[in-house]
Amino acid sequence: MRVTTPMALLGVLLLAALPALLPAGLLNAAIQMLIAALFACAYSLLSGRAGMLSFGHAAYFGVGAFATVHAMKAFGGAGLLPTPLLPLVGALAGLGFGIVAGWFATQRSGTTFAMITLAIAELLHAIAPQLKGWFGGESGISTMRMPAWGLSFGSTQQVYYLALAWVLLSLALLYFHAATPMGRLTLALRENSHRLGFLGYDAHGLGVSAFALSAMLSGIAGSLQVVSNEAVNYVVFDAGVSAAVVLNSYIGGVGTFLGPALGAALMTFFSYAVSDATQSWLLYQGVLFVLVMMVLPGGLTGLVSTTARLVGRHGFAAVLPLALLALGAALLLSAGTVFVVEAVQRIFSQDYRSLARMAASLPPITMFAHAWQPAAASTWLVPAALLATGAAFAWSARARLAALTRGTESNALEAAAPAIS
Amino acid sequence: MDAVVFAVLNGVIYGLLLFMVSAGLTLIFGMMGVLNFAHASFYMLGAYFAYALQGLVGFAGAVVLSTLLVGGVGVVVERGFLRRVHRHGHAHELLLTFGLSFIVAELVKLFFGNYPVDYRVPKALDFAAFAVGTQQYPVYRVLMGGIALLMFAAIYLLLTRTRIGIVVRAAIYRPRMVEALGHHVQLVFMGVFGIGAALAGLAGAVAGAFYTTNPNMALEIGVMVFVVVVVGGLGSLAGAMLASLLIGILTSLAVGVDASIADLAALVGAREWAQGIGGLLTLKLSSLAATIPFALMLLVLLLRPSGLMGERT
Repeated sequence: MRVTTPMALLGVLLLAALPALLPAGLLNAAIQMLIAALFACAYSLLSGRAGMLSFGHAAYFGVGAFATVHAMKAFGGAGLLPTPLLPLVGALAGLGFGIVAGWFATQRSGTTFAMITLAIAELLHAIAPQLKGWFGGESGISTMRMPAWGLSFGSTQQVYYLALAWVLLSLALLYFHAATPMGRLTLALRENSHRLGFLGYDAHGLGVSAFALSAMLSGIAGSLQVVSNEAVNYVVFDAGVSAAVVLNSYIGGVGTFLGPALGAALMTFFSYAVSDATQSWLLYQGVLFVLVMMVLPGGLTGLVSTTARLVGRHGFAAVLPLALLALGAALLLSAGTVFVVEAVQRIFSQDYRSLARMAASLPPITMFAHAWQPAAASTWLVPAALLATGAAFAWSARARLAALTRGTESNALEAAAPAIS
Repeated sequence: MDAVVFAVLNGVIYGLLLFMVSAGLTLIFGMMGVLNFAHASFYMLGAYFAYALQGLVGFAGAVVLSTLLVGGVGVVVERGFLRRVHRHGHAHELLLTFGLSFIVAELVKLFFGNYPVDYRVPKALDFAAFAVGTQQYPVYRVLMGGIALLMFAAIYLLLTRTRIGIVVRAAIYRPRMVEALGHHVQLVFMGVFGIGAALAGLAGAVAGAFYTTNPNMALEIGVMVFVVVVVGGLGSLAGAMLASLLIGILTSLAVGVDASIADLAALVGAREWAQGIGGLLTLKLSSLAATIPFALMLLVLLLRPSGLMGERT
């Protein structure tokens, strides 16, 4: 998916107009989406562009966050560090820590690299609650946003624009990094680091630079989180934070520039939207991630570009039924899975189990505003039917896709045949 | 003195437990080049399966059955998931197992709740084996250590003294050549993956009863096990044993030490200075015990990047 200049401008305009369009509650979610998007882009610089899988990016996010919270307390939003410039502190802290950690981690590549990043994050997670002076112990550190530059930063709207400005700036930096010789060499590092060494480039130094840049941008994301929440505790070093950014980035697709950002924004939005409705959101996210890994290595943006290519090659009319079938299959299968997961969640919950122990027969469970009998066959026929129809749709979509691509291949052969003879 | 003996004994037992989980991981890595992120999830599944089956078939039956079940899960993961993405490369496989470990943890929370379950040592095995000074040493710990040692002996003999072992070891170094000689390498891979998973499951079923069984246990032991295989050298069984024992004993001893860097500085008369700085320097070693394995790992990577017994870089 190519992003053209008018498209990018349109996107920026839309983001800038968002506060006027959204209610205040959703605007808060929008800030979280922006932060998650920046974090995912920073992560993908390392794992996508430089080809080094990190499982401990929470460390750099957290270091940026804690550096910022200390700066906020020390400067009080006055003097050299007014509130809008606070993410600079996060950037510096992330960069500094990234250089040290990166120097260690990039000694090795591949699997060992991944394990070292995980160990560094776990090291911080284990040590942070012990150092009360730096990380504030269990309760963490809280602070206040101070007015600066004639802005109060009291409203969500102003925080949104601050976050938006920093996220756009960071994305621009990332975009231009890709165009510099250093960015090209980072790509080469992923493809063949040995060869890069033979050509006389410093592969280790390049690895550290990519690592440090990624850590710096993660630090900015952590910083924005603190500016928005006005508090932070050592839970930012949790393995769950590292896991979320991996999942978000790959679900969006690390191969494209905006894929991780879109994936992170989408996932954050959903987790916000469904947080009241389900307790199993993380499970759905994990299943989605594994599905993407199994069948869509390019992520969701890869799906869009594949569809666009199919439309370009076969015409809209040929692809439409296929797309509808696939969409139907996806919806039906998700509906069936959600039904089963939610039912299991309710049946195995502590409340229900103690209820069932007291009652003579199994009490009904309430989901989707309807009471279902767990022991009745009719209850389980619903998801079974959904899943079976979905599977049939998926199978048929697959057969159509195969027919479509086989057709072009034979066409191409026929077209090539006269040229050969 | 008694306390030190006690700590060393506990450390050895914990190290043997770490070895039980890391043995499968390092074998699988040696063969397939895949670091299985979900390996620690097999450990957790072992504990939860045994907990769930305990009421039906008794403790011993539950341990055996859950070992077999987890081995089955391992086979399914290899055949149904890993093999399908093999062509996308090792990074992709690592990510897939990461996703699977995430799903297993969430499924465990779904079925058993996000809190520790009441899985404990059966009454019949809950007595003291011997006494060190005034302290009683539980027989269950000895049993755990014994199972791990038996397992080590069994794997070692299987790998070095049998025909299957020769094929497996050959498949680690030259899979294509072994295939060309007419051995079913895919089946060997699946078998090793299943056995590795079963060993982790056995470790979980046995250790879950002694330590706590909760949805976080996979992550906790997983990180330790990754440290073990990196410190020991990826793919080396003996290295895994050495690193497991080292980490087990070091952490166990550190918990009992009540000194800090400031006390060390006192030897050169700099206690005041160190206490003035505070932070890391006044932190007691006992509260840093959890971080020692990571520090050890960074040290090993600096001094001997291929691990203590590793050959590959």
